[in-house]
Amino acid sequence: MISLAGLRVLYGTFAAVDGLDLDIRRGELFGLLGPNGAGKSTTIRVLIGQRAPSAGSVHVAGYDVIREWDKVKPLFGYVPDRENHFEEFTGRRNLEFFGQLYNIPRSRAKEVLKMVELDEAGDLPVRGYSLGMRKKLLLARALLHEPQIMYLDEPTANLDIHSAEVVHRILRERVKHGATIILTTHNMEEVEQICDRVGIVCRGKLVALDSPLALKQQHTERKVDVIRKDGARLVFDMDNAASLADLSVLVAGGQVATMRTREFDFHATFLKLTGLAFD
Amino acid sequence: MRWYIIRALLVKEWQRHLANRGGITLGFLLIALAVLLKASAPKGDSSGAGAGMIGGIKTCFLDYDRNSTLVTHLREHRTAEERQQIAFRPLPKADTVGGYIVYPTTTGGLQLRQIRAEDSATGRATIHISVWHPQGNPTALAPYEAWLWREIRRWNIAQAQVRGITPPPEPEFDSENQWLLTEAHKRFQDQVAAAVRNEEPDFDAKVAVFGAPLTVATSSKGQLVPDLEVKREGLGGDVLDLRGVIATGFIVFALYFTCVYLLPTLSCEERERGILLAQALSPASSLELVTAKALFYPVAGITLAALIAVVSQPVIVTRLFFWLSIFAVAGGFLGIGMTIAAIAKTQRAAFLGGMCYLMVVSMLLLISSLNDIPFLPYFAVEFHAPRILHAAINGRVERYHWGNLIGSAVLAVVWLTVAVRMFRRRGWQ
Repeated sequence: MISLAGLRVLYGTFAAVDGLDLDIRRGELFGLLGPNGAGKSTTIRVLIGQRAPSAGSVHVAGYDVIREWDKVKPLFGYVPDRENHFEEFTGRRNLEFFGQLYNIPRSRAKEVLKMVELDEAGDLPVRGYSLGMRKKLLLARALLHEPQIMYLDEPTANLDIHSAEVVHRILRERVKHGATIILTTHNMEEVEQICDRVGIVCRGKLVALDSPLALKQQHTERKVDVIRKDGARLVFDMDNAASLADLSVLVAGGQVATMRTREFDFHATFLKLTGLAFD
Repeated sequence: MRWYIIRALLVKEWQRHLANRGGITLGFLLIALAVLLKASAPKGDSSGAGAGMIGGIKTCFLDYDRNSTLVTHLREHRTAEERQQIAFRPLPKADTVGGYIVYPTTTGGLQLRQIRAEDSATGRATIHISVWHPQGNPTALAPYEAWLWREIRRWNIAQAQVRGITPPPEPEFDSENQWLLTEAHKRFQDQVAAAVRNEEPDFDAKVAVFGAPLTVATSSKGQLVPDLEVKREGLGGDVLDLRGVIATGFIVFALYFTCVYLLPTLSCEERERGILLAQALSPASSLELVTAKALFYPVAGITLAALIAVVSQPVIVTRLFFWLSIFAVAGGFLGIGMTIAAIAKTQRAAFLGGMCYLMVVSMLLLISSLNDIPFLPYFAVEFHAPRILHAAINGRVERYHWGNLIGSAVLAVVWLTVAVRMFRRRGWQ
């Protein structure tokens, strides 16, 4: 559905995206992760036609984003990281205006407001909305024309747990109906929870690409942290026979005060993959 | 170009102004000022010309020492416009400072003191008139003085008729006060003729005494002093029509405000807040977005300007020159506004861009005017705009005004071309 081949975007001499190859399938919820300045937002900007690639090609639904922009434009909905509403209009009026541009009935605005649980606040001016409400209104706007493709830049930032759950549910439903979604986020739990696949970019390059489960399997640290009764802290490697034997002796001798197995930690994995982990 | 998109964008612009009523308030304020300007015009002055200011004098006080038949005559013999401008006031009621009568700025005074024969040192009744004019402008009260001389003469004639005396025929009073000159000359001719009659028969010798300059004109015996004919011609210009100038200022401001201030600042605000991007990512094309803005603001400006013009001068709607002028000026301002909108990245930059443009053009026009620099002002819409709009308002369109109109139209085309090029080059940035 979305294909990036050798994508390279230069800001002067700085390569924000450096030879990115990515294929995202129809009906996939794809998480694009990376530290600040990794090139996620630049990649999204290329996908929404706001930045021309310096090299490489980008195809969406078989159309070249640069050459066939007019065909690409109606296909996607976009949730930016920074809210951009008409502050003086109500939430409903904001949606109705964009609905008019898409030539869809007014009743659709009411539907999407209900979908994001903003129906009660729909007739209030946006300037009175909280950050979370504004974020949900962005999602409502992107859903107006039921796009096949959605690009979401940190869609759950500033949302409370319940609202984040609402967003997750909506995204999963969209995927169930065949939509393709790319989202960028810094929330690792969110990635684990809803993404079908994850791409981790760092310094403009793709450093990992797989499902969260596969990444978990690849990067789970099979280690046990032990605190002895005398207060000493020890780490045992489960893949090392000698280390396992030492742990057994310790347990049998009743010297263990606390013991904890290290589960998969996406956060640590992310830091490790992006080279940002503390030594 | 899809109409439902254009309509949605136009309605959006209007609703944004309804939500933030600053622009609409200013529009109403301009119309209210135009109404006030019209309402305060002298009665019967349907042309809106003049502001009741003759030679910078708005009110001429006629301060008199006592009520008399002369004062009553003067009070009753004023035209409707003179009634607005000449205020009668007893001398004791005049404002004084330190014993001196004070005339505020834009006023002047004619003081009338009537001295009876029994109170006069000479034993003759005397009308003593003092003219208090603005410093350095002794002719500022000339129209009021002309009225005073004429009506005093008429009152004297009326007084003579009451006593059964047949007065001489009334001279041909004229607004330019030439009757005073011709009367004086006629009196001089009569005096010379009387002297000649008394000293006949030595007529030719008398001619020689008056000298050569008169010999050509005294070809017929019996007329020693030639007749005097005075002809006055206007220079072709007009007295400053202050009301028309103010109305023109309102119209130019209305067009400038909508096209060079509102359009760039609100466009840049949308750009700065990312709303323009949201619209650009919708099915609306860049051309449709620009078209909606390029339709809304000039139409709003033209509507506001036309309302102000109609208030000032209702008949203006029938004048083709007015509509051509307003479209040419709106086109020029639209091009300037769009160019600023394409260059400025933020709302503040757009606002400052508009202000800087205005300042640069003002300085350009001022320096060109002070130093008699030719042609340079022709490159500013602001040079042509007031001229053609003022001519349209006062209905005195001369040939050179058409030149100004063509200049304005050419500049509009140039600015619109620049705006389109800038937009193509920079887009929504």
